[in-house]
Amino acid sequence: MSRFLKDFKRFFNYMVFSSKAELKSEVADSFLSWLWWILDPLLYMFVYWFVAVAVFGSNLQYFAAFVFSGYNAWTFFSKTVKASVKLVSAKKMIVTKVYVPKYMFVFEKIGVYGFKMIISNILVIITMAMYHVPLSWKIFWIFPITLVLVVLTFGVSTIIMHFGVFVEDLLNVVTVVLQLGFYVSGIFFSIAPIGDKVAGRLQPPYDDLLLKLNPLALIITDFRRVMLYDAAPHWVMLLIWFFVGLVLSFVGVATVYKFENSYVKVI
Amino acid sequence: MADTTEYAISVSDVKIRYRIFKKISLLKTILAPHKYKKTELFEAVKGVTFNVPKGQILGVVGKNGSGKSTLLRAIAGIFSPDEGKIDLYGHTVSLLSIGVGFQNKLSGRENIYLSGLLLGFSKEQIDEKLDEIIEFSELGDFIDRPVKTYSSGMYSKLAFSITAILETEIILIDEVLSVGDAKFKKKSYEKMKSLINNADRTVLIVSHSSETLRQLCDNILWLHDGEIKMQGTCDEVLPEYEKFMS
Repeated sequence: MSRFLKDFKRFFNYMVFSSKAELKSEVADSFLSWLWWILDPLLYMFVYWFVAVAVFGSNLQYFAAFVFSGYNAWTFFSKTVKASVKLVSAKKMIVTKVYVPKYMFVFEKIGVYGFKMIISNILVIITMAMYHVPLSWKIFWIFPITLVLVVLTFGVSTIIMHFGVFVEDLLNVVTVVLQLGFYVSGIFFSIAPIGDKVAGRLQPPYDDLLLKLNPLALIITDFRRVMLYDAAPHWVMLLIWFFVGLVLSFVGVATVYKFENSYVKVI
Repeated sequence: MADTTEYAISVSDVKIRYRIFKKISLLKTILAPHKYKKTELFEAVKGVTFNVPKGQILGVVGKNGSGKSTLLRAIAGIFSPDEGKIDLYGHTVSLLSIGVGFQNKLSGRENIYLSGLLLGFSKEQIDEKLDEIIEFSELGDFIDRPVKTYSSGMYSKLAFSITAILETEIILIDEVLSVGDAKFKKKSYEKMKSLINNADRTVLIVSHSSETLRQLCDNILWLHDGEIKMQGTCDEVLPEYEKFMS
């Protein structure tokens, strides 16, 4: 633990700088590249609108804001996890030349995708304004909810990164699992009813069960509850998943410390 | 009598093996599990013990595949020995090699910061040395252009300049005395010499050139098949080594 804090402090600047550098290199080729950070969620929203509204006849209140808030959180999680699978071999140039605690690469990715999440959350705010969503002070609960999301993402990604070094076809598995995760996290539909404003798509008790077992579904639902529907988040479940996230992070960091010096021998 | 020499590096009975961790495939493990029972063991370093006093310049020789580079990487902390211990007594260490790994789309200047931060320097320390690095690298205006536009010579010049000018207490050099054109080669050689001549700095040089080692080093460590074959001053070891290699 003390080693983690020491290393984190030592490499914190590197992490910030390399996150910025990665974002910068994304826009270096053309000045309009950053537009994709906004266009991406926007275009996906139309896809989901087509599926949910045109095909399945959904009549969700504040549909665009509803989809964006879910999409952003999910994208942050899934992109970070997916990037972690091959992260160590992607950083081969660095890993073979100098010592870095490897979980710093995960932090770097969290920085990159976290920044993009903040940018695309502007879309949520814009659409909320367009719908004249009544604001309540509950909107500030997005910060603790985001913390749960980040801790969980870090824990899962660090463990995935470790196994990604040794398991060649892990990416295939992770891609499929994430695809499943996408459909059971309720990006363009609501899993459970929110007050009397939103109807749930799943029958009880499965809706409740899914919210309890799938942290992403829980986080996304709670984002919507506090931002759009003036409802309180599921505090107890959030707290439980926060601790699960902490345990995963702890296991991940400990595993990386134990095995990271063997990574070079494999890649 | 107690040993009063101040050491910078202590390597005790270090063994490094390649094998234990092999890539596996989930699909293949399920379909053909028996294939994974075979394991080959290759021991690159087979129980090496030596100490390097602070300020010493130690040359490491040996034929290809004798474990020199493996040992150097282990001392740099890039991977851990499977057995034994390496103690650097808290000194900072860097492996001087061709580039820490650049971000191709970013400018040379930004890559200097990235590499410097990776080597454990603070932003202020890098700010201080920035001009010196740029000047030494002879890149001129190219420093603000993306690294992907560099020629391979320019690339390695920048890489060398970063590690050579951001000095650490222990420097490990792995055959980098041939960077860039003839002029830069001479310059980097001189720089190397001045780096090395600092009495506080401990240096390990891996090289195949007896000529270079004779000029730069105090002592020589001769590795053969992962074991120490001989250790001593240049005059003791190098003639034997040359005889062995010819």
